[in-house]
Amino acid sequence: MIAQRYSAQRVVRTAVIGVALLAIASTAHAVPAFARKYQTSCQTCHIVFPKLNAFGEAFRLRGYRMPGETEEMVKQPAVSLGSPAYKKLWPQAVWPGEISSAVPLAVNVKMAEVNTSSVNDDGSVSRISNDLQFPQEVNIFGAGTLGEHVSYFTEVTFSANADGSVAVDLEHAHMGFDSPFGPEDLFHFRIGKFAPNVVDGFQEMWIATDGAIDSLFNYNPIGVNGGTGLGADALSPNSISLPALVNGVEGYGIINHRAMWVAGLANGVMAAPGDTTGRFDGNNAKDVYARFDYKFGGMGLDGDTGGQPIPEKNWHDNSLRVGVFTYRGDASSIPFALETDSGVNVNIEDSHFLRTGFYASVFYQDLNVFGAYLHGTDTLNTTDAATGALLQAIEPAYHAWFTQADYMIYPWLQASGRYETVTPADPAVQSIRIGTLNMSALVRANVKVMVEYQRDLRQGDNHSLNALLRFAF
Amino acid sequence: MHRRLGVSVVLAGLMAIALCSVSTDVAGAAGSVIQGTVKATGLPSSADAVVYLQQVSGSFPAPAKPANIDQRSMQFNPHVLPVVVGTTVQFLNSDPTAHNVFSPDYEKYNLGTWPQGQTKDHTFAKCAKVPCAYVQLCRVHPEMEGYVVVLQNPFYAVTGADGHYKIDNVPPGTYSVGVWHAKLKSAPKPVTVDGTKPAVVDFVLGR
Repeated sequence: MIAQRYSAQRVVRTAVIGVALLAIASTAHAVPAFARKYQTSCQTCHIVFPKLNAFGEAFRLRGYRMPGETEEMVKQPAVSLGSPAYKKLWPQAVWPGEISSAVPLAVNVKMAEVNTSSVNDDGSVSRISNDLQFPQEVNIFGAGTLGEHVSYFTEVTFSANADGSVAVDLEHAHMGFDSPFGPEDLFHFRIGKFAPNVVDGFQEMWIATDGAIDSLFNYNPIGVNGGTGLGADALSPNSISLPALVNGVEGYGIINHRAMWVAGLANGVMAAPGDTTGRFDGNNAKDVYARFDYKFGGMGLDGDTGGQPIPEKNWHDNSLRVGVFTYRGDASSIPFALETDSGVNVNIEDSHFLRTGFYASVFYQDLNVFGAYLHGTDTLNTTDAATGALLQAIEPAYHAWFTQADYMIYPWLQASGRYETVTPADPAVQSIRIGTLNMSALVRANVKVMVEYQRDLRQGDNHSLNALLRFAF
Repeated sequence: MHRRLGVSVVLAGLMAIALCSVSTDVAGAAGSVIQGTVKATGLPSSADAVVYLQQVSGSFPAPAKPANIDQRSMQFNPHVLPVVVGTTVQFLNSDPTAHNVFSPDYEKYNLGTWPQGQTKDHTFAKCAKVPCAYVQLCRVHPEMEGYVVVLQNPFYAVTGADGHYKIDNVPPGTYSVGVWHAKLKSAPKPVTVDGTKPAVVDFVLGR
């Protein structure tokens, strides 16, 4: 076994990484372009944005179309790009489509008043108080439909950096092909960059808390003896955790209103620094993922109500949803550079990795409790960076899980609590435990104020208390 | 004076005759009217549905003068034009840009492309089974769309935005009333026109 350098400080460093990431801006979504298109409130689809209610989830899954949508429901008439009669002429004519009559753009803005405390490698504690990160993030969305069976969603995020510069990230850009054949909603396809449907329900795009669930999405498996903690997002190349976003193609569908299937193909880990090929993918192999879940009670996944009246409160959806998911990745030939305790520069490749888990969500009246468990295995091959000689091959495993409870106190006020933990693969490292408390208040349907407290439950000096203001228009 | 009186008497007599005539016509029209409302489910407007009698005995020659569709402001106007079989439709281009007219339906035709102020004709000479709906398209502007609906007889009406329609001067008898819409449909309904009061036939169109 190879000793990793600074092993005595690994636990502390891991914790620092963990809490440092809590302060990183996460992205959450509310798309007022839809409110304009349908002349409807944000609360038609959102409980406390960006968290979707059952109707909003059906709207999303159906390719940004309302359940049972008719032309009458669309208040902004579309611009025809061709009479529907041109279908009769295909392939002698372009298949007809349409675009929205108003530019389908929307903006989200986030301000954050940040207070953090974090333990450094040397044991000292750094504190940030009342840092006015105004604004911390601006998101520009474009989303809508392009006729009968086509939809799209794009998001460009501008994040303010500490040095005053602005980082621009193309977070989402995908086109959907919705029910192009077969029974309605049984087949949908997406191509582009998107949040894979294996993680909807607990990906940051859909949860009400500001902090993402790092235990699932930010685990770093790269270590001489297996992963030691969080920080996958900071890796170069990028994450080998459970991906929150993928570049790829995905198929999904709803079976008989209640069951959902997902299968996807993704690039996986991006090219390593120094790769001059210009490729997006770090190797020629593709990652694959799949999911199956079922919803008992409540509104159907496609918005079907079975003829029953929907609850007066838009967040009520007494139901149980359970599912299993798996993601298999291949990061062979993608080196992650590391220095061992003995000062040897090594490269570690994760030739293949597997993430498997299950998910459950219960809605009962004003309460929603949900969580996921994830088991991960990696195949780490360590080679000498100078000679290329194989030094070690191991197959470490880790597991992570979280549970979160959201409770609606008033239609405008939600309290949330989350516990999450990850047990890294390196047996010398303690598990990481993080607690999050959040209070979210809708000042208006499109204006939200949050107070969020996160704490490293292993090291009390690692914590953050942030006040946030988000608005969407 | 006498002359003025004579003129007044004549005028009064003519007015009386005219009033009697109008009265007679109104009574006759009341008994030969089919009217009602068409509801286009799920659409923002119930306009442009064609309500028609499927079959009426007798022959109904096409009008000598052509019917007209104007391509104005990048639209076919009217959007829906019902005609009796054999009618010639004259297409006018009122826009400063060139327009084309063609239809992929039935015998298919392409009248070519022509500039502002000019017209081209097409005769809808046959229709094996009414209604024969010909979509009118413009190759130059793919979003443009209109319809010519060919029918067996002249007893038809096009609904307004409120869905209301009225077919006048229907001979007494029993008929099947059909409705055509570009996106929606409904089964025909029977109606008896007895000449005493307007017959009411409503439709709800669906997918």
